[in-house]
Amino acid sequence: MGYVNMVLLEEPIKEAITIKNYIGGEWVESEGELIDVVNPATMKTIAKVPISTKDELDAAVEAAKEAFPEWRRTPPLARARCLFRLKELMEERFEELSRIQTMEHGKTIDESRGETRRGIENVEVATGIPSLMMGYNLEDIAAGIDEYVLYQPLGVFGIIGPFNFPFMVPLWFAPYAVATGNCIIIKPSSEDPISQMKIAELVEEAGFPPGVWNVVNGGRTVVSAMLDHPDIEGICFVGSTPVGRDVVYRRCGETGKRVIAQCGAKNFLLVMPDANLERTIAACMTSFYGNTGQRCLSGANLVIVGEGLNEHEYNAFYSKVVNAFVESASKIRVGYGLDTTVQMGPLRDKSKKERVIGFIEKGIEEGAKLRLDGRNVKLVGDWPHDCFLNPTVFEDVTPDMTIGREEIFGPVASVMRARNLDEAIEMIHSNPYGNAASIFTSSGKWAREFQYRVQCGNIGINIGIVAPMAFFPFGGMKDSFFGVLHGQGREAIRFFTEAKVVIQRWF
Amino acid sequence: MSFKGGSRLEKPNVTASTIISFAEKLEEDSAKFYDELAKRYVEGKEIFLSFSEESKKNKTLITRTYQETISDALEACFIEGLNLSEYLTEIRLEEDTSYSDALKMAMELEEKARKFYSDAAEKSESLLATIPSAFRKVAERRNNRKSKLKSLLEGI
Repeated sequence: MGYVNMVLLEEPIKEAITIKNYIGGEWVESEGELIDVVNPATMKTIAKVPISTKDELDAAVEAAKEAFPEWRRTPPLARARCLFRLKELMEERFEELSRIQTMEHGKTIDESRGETRRGIENVEVATGIPSLMMGYNLEDIAAGIDEYVLYQPLGVFGIIGPFNFPFMVPLWFAPYAVATGNCIIIKPSSEDPISQMKIAELVEEAGFPPGVWNVVNGGRTVVSAMLDHPDIEGICFVGSTPVGRDVVYRRCGETGKRVIAQCGAKNFLLVMPDANLERTIAACMTSFYGNTGQRCLSGANLVIVGEGLNEHEYNAFYSKVVNAFVESASKIRVGYGLDTTVQMGPLRDKSKKERVIGFIEKGIEEGAKLRLDGRNVKLVGDWPHDCFLNPTVFEDVTPDMTIGREEIFGPVASVMRARNLDEAIEMIHSNPYGNAASIFTSSGKWAREFQYRVQCGNIGINIGIVAPMAFFPFGGMKDSFFGVLHGQGREAIRFFTEAKVVIQRWF
Repeated sequence: MSFKGGSRLEKPNVTASTIISFAEKLEEDSAKFYDELAKRYVEGKEIFLSFSEESKKNKTLITRTYQETISDALEACFIEGLNLSEYLTEIRLEEDTSYSDALKMAMELEEKARKFYSDAAEKSESLLATIPSAFRKVAERRNNRKSKLKSLLEGI
């Protein structure tokens, strides 16, 4: 009965599984090539995923199209009940679903459980569809004439998921799409597709009619076929800015599709002189190093602001913050996420680690001061080092340096100096991204100024990770978002419906 | 029989899941311990069985609260300053352990458990309110048990 057995949780996947597509309520083997899904902590192959063909995507669209007329006629309350059952099944399988995320992505078990919870929250919110989908009306717009708005589903939607949140991100969209009466095709990331397969199993068990919820695995061929398919009404995409802006957004414009493209980020966290340092540093650790820095809401640039301080005071404040940050970062326990004592897992794969190392080398080359070098890998447990890095901290970074400007998507913090709040906000605005920004302060005045002026879609005040709850939209501006309406909550309901105006008069 | 309340933890740790796992294990072990006491000492059988049942409920409460609260958005993954080794209790029930000695061991277990839950509540104050609230609730239950055990001891 010792903790030795308990520290490393049991893996739910014992042998490599072969993933199938879920089309029209059937599990269909793909004709495409199979590629390995590797656990980045152990480097063991845990699944084989198909790179599906265009024909297979077409078959899924056909199935969805066929299911749509009956599904849209299904009363919203009945559709909500399917979602209630799905939620219950997700709760029952909560732990298994969470451990699978750790195995296929590498994140810690706490992070995976958090992701599961956030995914379920979207299902919960969508169960409110009878209220959420209501239109509005006004009597007597003219003599004896009434006018009202109906929200109606459009048909088939495509959802393209990223690798960093394999369970949650497709659920920013899918529950709202089906709740409003649409049918969907999800293309999970081929790097970690198991979670979406598991969700589809639960969808089947929950009794969704065949064709309402489809999953087609694959890569560019499937994405391309989705973007060009005339029977897909809209696309939800979460991924990099080059793909989101130059491929997804552009092609959706050309083919007349609705689009939500949530993309890259370079998030700034400002520390003001009056910040509660202990709480700020704790929040920064999860912000910069949570999910191994692989999230679009991760802190990237830590800006220490000297508003109201003279040079001597500022230097002392700067050193205090940096030293506390480095000390905390150096204590983070890195290892396999199924070890419950671990605080940071590996990067998703070797190439991503190499990419991050490239940024670290670039930072050194461009003159930033390396305070903590994560390339010196120290792990809890004896795991292959292939995908692991420890936390890295750079000092004296400027906004024009590569590491201060570009999205690293890894556990690297760049510390910057700003004399005052204006200068710090200018730094944020000089960056092309506009996903999230936070300020740590005890001053309502500074906080208000920050939230009012900063051009980012998600603003944090004493919050490290500005992740909107399911009943709020997931914001994003500038190069971080392409589209009009965002995922989650009421905006998602609007995205997945068309407003139809009816004006009536009876003689 | 040898019982280690919370068992051995080799290294200090700060993740939320470790603390939750510790609590879950503590409740599992406590339930087993009181089941064993109920078998051995008929004088306190009813109370021991009720403690065992309560520990099972405590475990459910802690697990549910954690699973319903944890979120990637909150600072739930880094709870610092709890050294779990401070809350370990080594209790050894021998063949000839007397009823009064068993009660004293149980009181020691309850005091360590109460302290663990109180400290965990304090350290998790910055998280969503449900987490410290659950810890406080279990701390209170553990404290009540200690009082009941004391009464049993005084009644011998």
